[in-house]
Amino acid sequence: MVIDVNRCVGCQTCTIACKHANDTLPGVQWRRVVDVELGEYPSVERFFLVTGCQHCAEPPCVPVCPTGATWQREDGLVVQDYDVCIGCAYCAVSCPYQARTIAHDMRWYYGEATKQEEAVRHDERLGVAQKCTFCKDRVDEGLKQGLKPGVDPEATPACAAACISSAIQFGDFRDPESNVSQLIAGPHFQLNAELGTDPQIKYLYTTPAIPGRPGGSAELDEERLCDPAHPLVGPLQTLWDWRAAMNWIFGGIAAGFAVMAYLASLAGAVHPDRIPALHFVAAGIMAIGLFCVFLKIGRKLRFWRAVARPQTSWMTRELYAVAVFYPLVLANLLWPSAILSLLGGATALVFLWCQAKILHRARGVPAWRVPLMPWMLLATGLLEGMGLLALLLARFSGLGQPGVLVPLAGLALVAINAALWIAYRNTAQAEGIVPLARRVIGDNSLALHIVGHAVPALMFVLALVNPALLQVYLGVAGAAAIAGGAFWKFTLIVRAAYQQGFGVPAVPQRGSGTRAAPARVQGTPLRGAPTRMKAAAEQGSGSP
Amino acid sequence: MAQRTSAKKTVPMYCYQCVAGPDFFKVEVENGVATRIESNWDIRKEHPAGGRVCVKAYGLIQKTYNPNRVQSPMKRTNPKKGRDQDPGFVPISWDEAFDMVGGKLREIRAAGLEDEHGFPRFAVTTGGGGTPVQYMGSWPAFLAAWGPVDQGFGAGQGVKCYHSEHLYGEFWHRAFIVSPDTPYTNFVINCGANIEASHGVVGIWREADARVRGARRIQVEPHMSITGAVSSEWVPIKPKTDAAFLFGLIHRIIHERNWREVCDVPFLAERTNSPYLVGPNGWFLRDPATGKPLVFDLADNTAKPFDAGIKRPAMEGEFTLSGIEIGPDQRQWTHDSCKAKPSFQKLLEHMQPYTPDWAAEECGVPAESIRRIADEFLAHACIGETIDIEGHTLPFRPVAVLVGKGIANGWGAYHCCWAQKMMAVLVGALEVPGGILGTAVKLVRPANPRVGSALPGPDGFMRYQFNPTSATDWMRQPNIRNAYKTLIPLVSDSPWSPALGPAHLPWLFLKTQPKGLPRIEPPDIWFCYRTNPAISSWNAPEVAKQLAKFPFIVAFAYTDDETNHFADVLLPESTDLESLQLIRIGGTKFNQNFWRHEGWALRAKPLEPVANTRDMTDIATELAKQAGILEQYVGAINKGAAGMSLAGRAGAFNYALDPSTPPTSTQVWDAVCKAASHELSQGKEVHDLEWFREHGYMLAPFPQIDWYLYPVMEKQNLRFELPYQERLTRHGQELAHRFKEAGIDWWEKQLREYEFLPTYERFPDIWLNYAREFGRDPAEYPLWAMTARSFQYAWGANVGIPLINEVANNIAGHKGVIVNRRTAKQMGIAEGEDVVIESVTGITEGKAVLREGIRPDCVLMIGQFDHWKTPFARDLHLPSLNSVTDISLKLTDGTGSGADLMRVKLYKASDRAKHGRPATA
Repeated sequence: MVIDVNRCVGCQTCTIACKHANDTLPGVQWRRVVDVELGEYPSVERFFLVTGCQHCAEPPCVPVCPTGATWQREDGLVVQDYDVCIGCAYCAVSCPYQARTIAHDMRWYYGEATKQEEAVRHDERLGVAQKCTFCKDRVDEGLKQGLKPGVDPEATPACAAACISSAIQFGDFRDPESNVSQLIAGPHFQLNAELGTDPQIKYLYTTPAIPGRPGGSAELDEERLCDPAHPLVGPLQTLWDWRAAMNWIFGGIAAGFAVMAYLASLAGAVHPDRIPALHFVAAGIMAIGLFCVFLKIGRKLRFWRAVARPQTSWMTRELYAVAVFYPLVLANLLWPSAILSLLGGATALVFLWCQAKILHRARGVPAWRVPLMPWMLLATGLLEGMGLLALLLARFSGLGQPGVLVPLAGLALVAINAALWIAYRNTAQAEGIVPLARRVIGDNSLALHIVGHAVPALMFVLALVNPALLQVYLGVAGAAAIAGGAFWKFTLIVRAAYQQGFGVPAVPQRGSGTRAAPARVQGTPLRGAPTRMKAAAEQGSGSP
Repeated sequence: MAQRTSAKKTVPMYCYQCVAGPDFFKVEVENGVATRIESNWDIRKEHPAGGRVCVKAYGLIQKTYNPNRVQSPMKRTNPKKGRDQDPGFVPISWDEAFDMVGGKLREIRAAGLEDEHGFPRFAVTTGGGGTPVQYMGSWPAFLAAWGPVDQGFGAGQGVKCYHSEHLYGEFWHRAFIVSPDTPYTNFVINCGANIEASHGVVGIWREADARVRGARRIQVEPHMSITGAVSSEWVPIKPKTDAAFLFGLIHRIIHERNWREVCDVPFLAERTNSPYLVGPNGWFLRDPATGKPLVFDLADNTAKPFDAGIKRPAMEGEFTLSGIEIGPDQRQWTHDSCKAKPSFQKLLEHMQPYTPDWAAEECGVPAESIRRIADEFLAHACIGETIDIEGHTLPFRPVAVLVGKGIANGWGAYHCCWAQKMMAVLVGALEVPGGILGTAVKLVRPANPRVGSALPGPDGFMRYQFNPTSATDWMRQPNIRNAYKTLIPLVSDSPWSPALGPAHLPWLFLKTQPKGLPRIEPPDIWFCYRTNPAISSWNAPEVAKQLAKFPFIVAFAYTDDETNHFADVLLPESTDLESLQLIRIGGTKFNQNFWRHEGWALRAKPLEPVANTRDMTDIATELAKQAGILEQYVGAINKGAAGMSLAGRAGAFNYALDPSTPPTSTQVWDAVCKAASHELSQGKEVHDLEWFREHGYMLAPFPQIDWYLYPVMEKQNLRFELPYQERLTRHGQELAHRFKEAGIDWWEKQLREYEFLPTYERFPDIWLNYAREFGRDPAEYPLWAMTARSFQYAWGANVGIPLINEVANNIAGHKGVIVNRRTAKQMGIAEGEDVVIESVTGITEGKAVLREGIRPDCVLMIGQFDHWKTPFARDLHLPSLNSVTDISLKLTDGTGSGADLMRVKLYKASDRAKHGRPATA
């Protein structure tokens, strides 16, 4: 698809044509056109940006989908199978174009269903991810009838067919003769191209009278970038809410605990025969997180479908880790053995890594997708696990002897976590974390450092220097480590999860003051009928 | 679309929800339920915008299934009327409704069609831009059959339209609406015309093509509209100073540049009154023998009548000549020897003081920008070039100047419209390919085809029927309450003229009886159709107050609204998808709808009514029967009141209906279909209603040469009546005499607007000083309040449709009042904060929308909202300029229009108490 920013007038016909063609619910817009303003009076520019699923050549939503409901067709269209999707929203948070949404309940424009709404209701879409399909049914049906998508409106996506300024053109980039290939022979850009998604919507931004210029989203100042109402600024994602955060919190604690308990047993700080019970505790804590996430998914009874994509989806892999971990824990309870304890610890580590990677691969949220993220989640999980272990060792003396090993390991983990967080903050801007998220991260750093790092570190040190009160110090250290980890994960998942905005690298040169198109005082090269007029005349009928 | 297996059909339809229609779509109907709308691709080769419809058409299904629709006829049970009164509407049967209304109609006919003051007892108001007529079926036949009707109660006309452009446009070049010839125009100076919001699908389509091929547009306006957004350049200008900017451009061209080199001198000499000599009293110096204006021929240094084969007409200088001048009321001056100057010389002298530097001071646009824009205009004008159109060689002048709402109405509009046309004639870009064109005729007759309306009149100009101003023929006693024939000679007397008179004045006159006019009282019965003046008028709250005094209101209702709140009877009409009508399409219509085809299209009634509503044609027929005028009514249909005469000329065809029998809507439109297709095909293809139901439309070629008036002007050797306004001024002065004789003094300032060449005055001061009328200090109101059209809503009567609201909200400004970000910051107003906009006469509230694309001294409220009754819309809590403007003679210009503009103060809603307002809204 090619969109000419010079042509678009923000009329919303594409948006509403899409809503008709695809029967979307109130508030759901697969094709959305936003109204963008750049600059300051008296040098201002305003343009309209057509947004929606970019049908990326490298779609970040596809590999993450645990069920295979989202997939890429041979012709490049990224499509969605409503009957398979479980509504986990992983694709939605992985999309850097705000293109996906989930409607959990039917809603009606007038509060109650009209006859039309009843006639076109799509119950199969409730609770599952939805997005622009490039009107694949329409395209496929047109092809069957021998029509050419992009040329024949009946075989063209509704938005492109309906566009009253010809701003939206559809066609096949693989065909060098196609309309869209011809259009992108000149300057064009892709949204958020730096993310490597290779979006298949390409934007034109220059004309003979209105040349394009570099700029766009890069011109937004801090004030605008911190305005969630600005259309180029990504809003806070809400699909992964506190329930999702609980999975990372409880899952992290549990998996970290299972790992650290096993390691402690190797180091002699925990009795090896306690491992089956401790792993059972870990499994219980993990179950709370999993239950929370179960509550969140749109189609609960289909949750098992998440096993379908182990080759790419860390969510599927997480499920596999769970599927292995629980039988192992049970077996270890029934038939305790060192090998089962080892396998239990190893599986927990895999689970922890899966969780870390899930967030990391959610590329729609800049605060999550940074390279440090999986290491931070791993380190936090281990620290939280160590925290829980310390807490239990402090409470239940029969578990083992913490000695100096636990405080030392705890100190090391605190140091690693603190260093990772500082590195995360310091590299946030360079890594493209958006200002709104950076603001949240910055605002919460001190609390995290105090609760999650300073307090546990101090307590671990005190535990070393004053073993007499070891249990007290370990208990406080453990609780603080858990609280700190839970705090930052909740902050990151629920409060700092601003979505990727629209990165526009070039715009038409138009507007007022310094932004106006250059004057043309010396005559005009333009003469006579425009191309379309000639084409219409050649067809022997058309009015220009 | 999802594949479904049930009974499904698609029905071709037209959408005429805005003035820039019609466009065409198909509605999908599945098991009797309308499900989806899509453009009608069948017509994509003939329709100038590839067969597309815009966002508004897609709202029609929700419009139909809106649960808030009036479900059946209703009658009022609370005799008290007022905004605070519950009307107590109760459902009644159609029979009872017709009995009630019919009884009233019969009562009026028995009492006499006019009241004791000579005004029609029957009044009717319809909505904007003439779009209602595309939906009202045979209702015009009812009006034609009734007799005198007062169609002068406005619903916002004069401020919501391009009022002065309508009047002067028709006078000067048969242009009720002016459009650039966008398929060819390469450079446009656009003073505030919000083309992308108001020129419809065809306008948007053509403008986008123009941009991409390299056309430039300079948008001059205080707020960067969507049109400003997609222009090459936005030039912020102080409100109401466009005349200064345009005068500055003209000065640049004729004084700072060498006009003999840069202007189209042959065009000026042959197609305008530039060479006409002007005598010492300002009137054309005429040949005593023929009475024709004289032109000085430099070829033999003699003055001759303008049409006497002048070889080298003098355009400048001063000559000593003999001749006569004819002034107002046939006053004549005979000069044996007098100084006379060509009109163009008068123009040169008149424009001398209006330098770009002067203009810059007035309008806030830098002088160098004014000079550069004028130079760009000249650079693009292609003077001397020609183009071949269908085998005819025509001048090619791809430059245009446009003026928008707010500029083309209210004080200063005459100046702007005149300057707009002058820019065109200076380079010969009027009514030629690439220049500015008129695309519809509404005041001059015959109106169809448009080029046929250019008939020879006096002095080598086109004929124009002014309302008489002579002592014998002036209409001392107005025929309707807005006194359009009495006050406005230029508004003429076509069926459209009553609504183009000063249509706001009846509301004012009901409040304050004007001296010297007969007593003005509400009509005995008032019908309103697809209109909501209690929202859309200037000073809408005042209109609501006046409506409460109307004794009997019949509202053709869709949902409850702010106007039918005062009604006595609600007659719910079937909506667009539930009713039948055949309309004329193609040719040259409003805005950019000039086609290479013409023909007819059907609204095919794809649905049975979903509520107990009726087709307007059936309602009109029943009311005609009830009123005892059935025969006249059917006769009017037969004569063409439903859009097409049912009997052809010279007996070419006859599909006339029997006047003694009430026809059904099917019978009416079947006959119209046959007559229309017969005429279009000259009898070769006669199609009935069923054929149109299946095919939707029927077309025949329309010559592109008829887009342009120039060829018929040239053929008849006619001139555009520019730059010098002798005829207009004569009417103005005669009118001044009449008012003086009648002892009427309240129209004096308006009469001063009639000038040979318009003199600039500081128009913004009129609004600045308006506060003084109420004893207030203008400094209390430091901001300009303005409005802009919303593409999604304009004319659509769709404020109650949530789908439209949802998508419109993607465009800035639809959620509140647009305020300059810096201004807001200085006032401590945050994005989305509740604010109050208060003028000396009204108040409105909304949320602040902070933007950079607006002058710091302006605020802007999109569309027309502030609803207090219309379901859904009333919950939007959107502000409206109409709540703070005022209806006032002070703000009414000589053509009877005002500007959508007011001085206001802005403050946080939390500061209400500080401003003497109740702490809560």
